[in-house]
Amino acid sequence: MNSRAEFSVKTRGTLTEDAGLSTDPVPLSVYRSREFYEQEKEQIFRRAWLLVGRVEELPSPGCFVRKELPPFGFSALITHSKSGKIQAFYNACPHRGSTIVHEAEGKSGRLVCPYHRWSFSHDGELVGITDEGNFFDIDKKKCGLKTIATDIWDGWIFINLQPEPEVSLEQFLGPLKDFLGGVNYISPDNYFSFTAELDSNWKTAADAFIETYHIPHIHPETLATTFSSGINPYARLLDAKILGSHRAVSMFGNNTYQPKSGSRVEAIGQSLSKRGSVIAAANKEAAEAFLSHPAVNPTNSPHWSMDVNAIFPHVQIDFGPGGFWVHHFWPAGHDKTAYEARFYAAEAKTFSERFQQELYLTRVAEVVLEDLCNLLHTQQGINSGAFDVMPLQDSEIAIRHSVEEVIKWVNAESVKEILP
Amino acid sequence: MSHSTNHRPLPAGFETLQPFVSKWAGATSLERMTTRAEADYAEIKDFYDAMVEKAEDAIALINQYPLKAMPEDVENLAKLTLALCQAAVAIEFHGQPRAPGTPYPNSIKLTKGMFPLG
Repeated sequence: MNSRAEFSVKTRGTLTEDAGLSTDPVPLSVYRSREFYEQEKEQIFRRAWLLVGRVEELPSPGCFVRKELPPFGFSALITHSKSGKIQAFYNACPHRGSTIVHEAEGKSGRLVCPYHRWSFSHDGELVGITDEGNFFDIDKKKCGLKTIATDIWDGWIFINLQPEPEVSLEQFLGPLKDFLGGVNYISPDNYFSFTAELDSNWKTAADAFIETYHIPHIHPETLATTFSSGINPYARLLDAKILGSHRAVSMFGNNTYQPKSGSRVEAIGQSLSKRGSVIAAANKEAAEAFLSHPAVNPTNSPHWSMDVNAIFPHVQIDFGPGGFWVHHFWPAGHDKTAYEARFYAAEAKTFSERFQQELYLTRVAEVVLEDLCNLLHTQQGINSGAFDVMPLQDSEIAIRHSVEEVIKWVNAESVKEILP
Repeated sequence: MSHSTNHRPLPAGFETLQPFVSKWAGATSLERMTTRAEADYAEIKDFYDAMVEKAEDAIALINQYPLKAMPEDVENLAKLTLALCQAAVAIEFHGQPRAPGTPYPNSIKLTKGMFPLG
């Protein structure tokens, strides 16, 4: 008991109060109201810069990716042009609006609309019209793809659906940019990914991935013993930072963790792992550069497991001992979330590495599945209307801040008044 | 049995695993995950018990080949060995084929695996 108190209270004050946040209960209506969701779409998702991917997805000129925008039911087409520019467009043909690219990604000389074979360069210029002579004085220069504001920061591609964004990406990122800037992302060009359709509000889903209070209970076999231990049985946070509309939390890890005696396969994985991490780093230098960044294990704790960096509104970039991974929580309705997770790791050079990756991937899938079920149960309770508020404890600080920011954005007349 | 055996051979020394090839040696992570999720616990346990005994030998053998150019028998063994990760979830974590209280089928999709056999 003494050791528990030693970890939790004596080493720091409460994160919530230190950050200047209220400790009052937090409203639940924002998680269930259809009206509020409509406001979120317009006030948040049509005005904020939205993280949609990484530049490594478009490694060379001619590459393109299609990104779904579930709140709006249309997609963005992001291209890498001959001039080297990465630019997002509405994935719609200026002729009669048809969707141009149907595949998730590809590489081509031109972009061709399948409906009437109009063709475009990767700069969005209209290059060719089928049977052009049958049109009426058509001005090709005015019939290019419609751009979506695009900017890039540390390899992350952001788009903004405002025709002329009120604030720059730099202003939008604010203190997050200083905190996370310059992270050496390990193996950003290689990943495995999951998608899921979650029966919950997008915030209910994101909340579940940014607090550790639930881990000993919802993930008793898959995660509990890696995130909690005798000195911190309820997996209290190591640290939390409020960064404008964004936030970061650092999570406890059990460094005395050993696989159960019956877990022979896990023990094999552990014995194969030289670095104690199952996500193999590309090389030692890259791993050291990543781990030495001040935002990675920001308290330099020997009890560190991972960090969650919440990029407003819907993305989390997570750091662990072996690298990074990313969650997207796209709203697809007031009670639907289009979830995608990408876990980045170097391509295996040996079968030992490949085996460890498979162990990791397998466990990740189980964790996502456990969360998916829990989210449905949570959302049903929220929807019942039984409660108007939720009491949040200190390790749930990120949820408190998330609700605060969401309400702030919804109510703000201009983006400029939100950002410092 | 011997008919299908010849179609999907394993390297010498791994003959005890031959009965498991047709079911468990799926080509992708998704296939192997689906096999585990849809198998009976007893089936998973049989495969797990046989495979875990040979796992370290298998990994050592496969490590001798480039991942981009594994001979067919080695690749079959690699698929089986990777399937052990799935079997272990059932045997070592859940004590049943799937996580307790979770629906099947469900909306989770593995959209991209790792190279090779992902």
